Amino acid sequence: MSDELGAALFEAAALIALLVAVALPLSSYVVAAMEGAPSMARKVMGPLERGCARIVGARPDDSMGWKRYLVGAVALTVVGMAVLFAILIAQGVLPANPESFPGLPADTAFNMAASFATNTDWQAVAGEARLSYFSQAVGLAVQNFLSPAIGIAVAFALMRGLRSAGAGGLGNFWIDVIRAVLYVLLPLALVGALIGVAQGTPQTLQPYETVQLLEPVGVDAEGNVVEADSPEAVQQVTQAVVPLGPQASQVAIKQLGTNGGGFNGANSASALENPTPLTNLLQCGAIMLLPLTLIFCFGRMVGDRRQGRMLMAVVIAMLAVAVAVCMAAEYAATPQLLDDGAVYVGGVEQSAGNMEGKECRIGTGETALWSVFTTAAAHGSSNGSMAGLTPLSQVVALVLMGLGEVVGGGAGTGLSSLVGFVILTVFIASLMVGRAPEYLGKKIGPAEMRLAVIMVMAPALVMLAAAAVLALVPAASASAGGDGAQGFTNMLYAAVSAGANNGSALGGFEADAPWPNLVLGLEMLLGRLVPIGCAVALAGRMAVLKPSAAQVGALSASGPLFAVLLVAVVLLVGALSLVPALALGPIALATA
Amino acid sequence: MSGRVIGKALARAAALVAIATLALGVLYPFAVGAVGRMAFPWQAQGSIIEADGVKYGSAQVGQPFSDDTHMWGRPTVADATLFQGADGQPLLWYGPDNLSPASQQFAQRVEERVAAVRAAHPDRGNAPVPSDLVTVSGSGFDPHISPAAAEYQVGRISQATGRSPQEVRAIIRQCTEKPLLGVIGQERVNVLEVNLMLDGVLEAVPNR
Repeated sequence: MSDELGAALFEAAALIALLVAVALPLSSYVVAAMEGAPSMARKVMGPLERGCARIVGARPDDSMGWKRYLVGAVALTVVGMAVLFAILIAQGVLPANPESFPGLPADTAFNMAASFATNTDWQAVAGEARLSYFSQAVGLAVQNFLSPAIGIAVAFALMRGLRSAGAGGLGNFWIDVIRAVLYVLLPLALVGALIGVAQGTPQTLQPYETVQLLEPVGVDAEGNVVEADSPEAVQQVTQAVVPLGPQASQVAIKQLGTNGGGFNGANSASALENPTPLTNLLQCGAIMLLPLTLIFCFGRMVGDRRQGRMLMAVVIAMLAVAVAVCMAAEYAATPQLLDDGAVYVGGVEQSAGNMEGKECRIGTGETALWSVFTTAAAHGSSNGSMAGLTPLSQVVALVLMGLGEVVGGGAGTGLSSLVGFVILTVFIASLMVGRAPEYLGKKIGPAEMRLAVIMVMAPALVMLAAAAVLALVPAASASAGGDGAQGFTNMLYAAVSAGANNGSALGGFEADAPWPNLVLGLEMLLGRLVPIGCAVALAGRMAVLKPSAAQVGALSASGPLFAVLLVAVVLLVGALSLVPALALGPIALATA
Repeated sequence: MSGRVIGKALARAAALVAIATLALGVLYPFAVGAVGRMAFPWQAQGSIIEADGVKYGSAQVGQPFSDDTHMWGRPTVADATLFQGADGQPLLWYGPDNLSPASQQFAQRVEERVAAVRAAHPDRGNAPVPSDLVTVSGSGFDPHISPAAAEYQVGRISQATGRSPQEVRAIIRQCTEKPLLGVIGQERVNVLEVNLMLDGVLEAVPNR
């Protein structure tokens, strides 16, 4: 192991430890906020909460059954998507459009609306080149708050269902969303946004800046950039553009809410969005903060902290393996880059390893760490080019997404999927020891099992279906952006990213075309709403079951043995659904 | 599930989206912008480096450099078709290369870039070329290079500008930022700032 790899692994371990240390007290705050317990924060925000609740027409004591709760979650997703679609279509006539961008075509607008309403944040077009300030701040950023709030609400409904003594409802959906925004997302985003501005992220409504190039360049007849004195140059370019806009406010919430959709196409690789090592550290930590916090919330909510600690251990273990593999691959670089020793990839006075697609202020290790976090947490932001990663790192990214929001996952949705896997594991383990399956004292029947299985299988199924459509329809395959294994990898990555509500992309894929826009848009909706539907229905079924006293010899769902089994089940389900497709794409590339 | 429940839910969703749009879509960015304008006006407006009334670029956005008198940055993949200025003139913008570092095409580009860099730096002979000089960054407009890549160019810049290597190194030092707490992030050199100082446009680095 090189010194640089060792140092990077140590830094990653320190950051993860710090995140866990912050998540523990934060989970106590989040549970109190979501459950309406008295707190300092409630003294300040309480009037706001009650005001919002009155306008919406919701009351905290109006606890809902699962059907009403789910109708609320779907209604908010649909209305949010419709409003965003309308804004994107109409941005040409809306205010705050200093660059005079026209409205998006319907297929692109549908894709983006589905993407941001489902917490995916897949971006078919680069924001700075196609979206007005209005579309970004009033359209996208609002969904960046609401979509994680819906995920958090659903996770709390599931936890209340599991905890219920046999009569309770699941809570009030509208109150849950309002609380998640007011107490959790908004305060954190405000702090993050202000640090961002201080460090150099723009926050303005002024038009894009035009600046003088120190060295003009030329453009040839096809529009390609060439040297200024090249004989092919037909025109000189003496100026460059600097995209501005309300970036800091948006970057903060896209990082915190497991959203991931950048203000700029380059996302947090752009020094405008992510100007310094400090912002990089905070943004990278923010990716994992809420997913980890909600795991501790789970332990507190179901009244058994060991459950939370066990799930945390499982997630951290899988995360650690992914980080180690990805970092080792990136520091090893590739023979194509080494160029028989002509290129220096050591660590003296520079970042060691594969710097293709990486930024000098960030370096190899912190880009590898971010790549793992962003695919583990169903986040999708990036601080480098995912296409510039080595093939092995791309396999890691694909596996983390393909496992289905387990290793952290999206805000709320990750915890729900994890509980689905726990129930599946309880069932399998109970069969092995010959006991009737029960979890947290509640019997698990065929109906609960069906819901859990659909929840964990749905993302994999929609991913593979979408990948098949992209590969089989010639008009869709035209977007692959490569031949053979590379082209298939690009398509597979897009399909897996959309199905996992992740949103990261291999840049070679040409996303903005009618086929991928429609296929991936539908996939994002299914990959979001099916698991959410299952989670809420499962919560409803569990809520009416009375917990029984623990039986002697009953299976412990919080011990190390169970944790190992859970990892095995997660990996088995993931492997069975993904390995054939991976073999045709990135594994073929990695072994070529 | 009755239609009344669905209708009520849609009405509540519409009300919630309306409040959220006002509070999170308008008030929140305005609040951040107001604080930003007061406390960090230079950063909030794009970290534009201005001298004698000319805006030379953003400290956060790299530019293509290939002149012998300038320090070179990361290779850029520039575009002049996306943005036009007020008079319809093309404006330069950048994107990443999106090549797999394990592809043949990438190997070829690296080889070409190595050859070009070496040809311009005969004083360096066959010394290995620092990797950031031959790889495209994640954004395509990385404003920085590594200290190793800066040092590699000192001989050539010194010869082309007539400044002594010590002078060139002193400029580079002024434009160098350290990692946070010595370990987080990387030490890096801001290329545009170096070149503005080499050209005598800037005397000191802005806002640091």
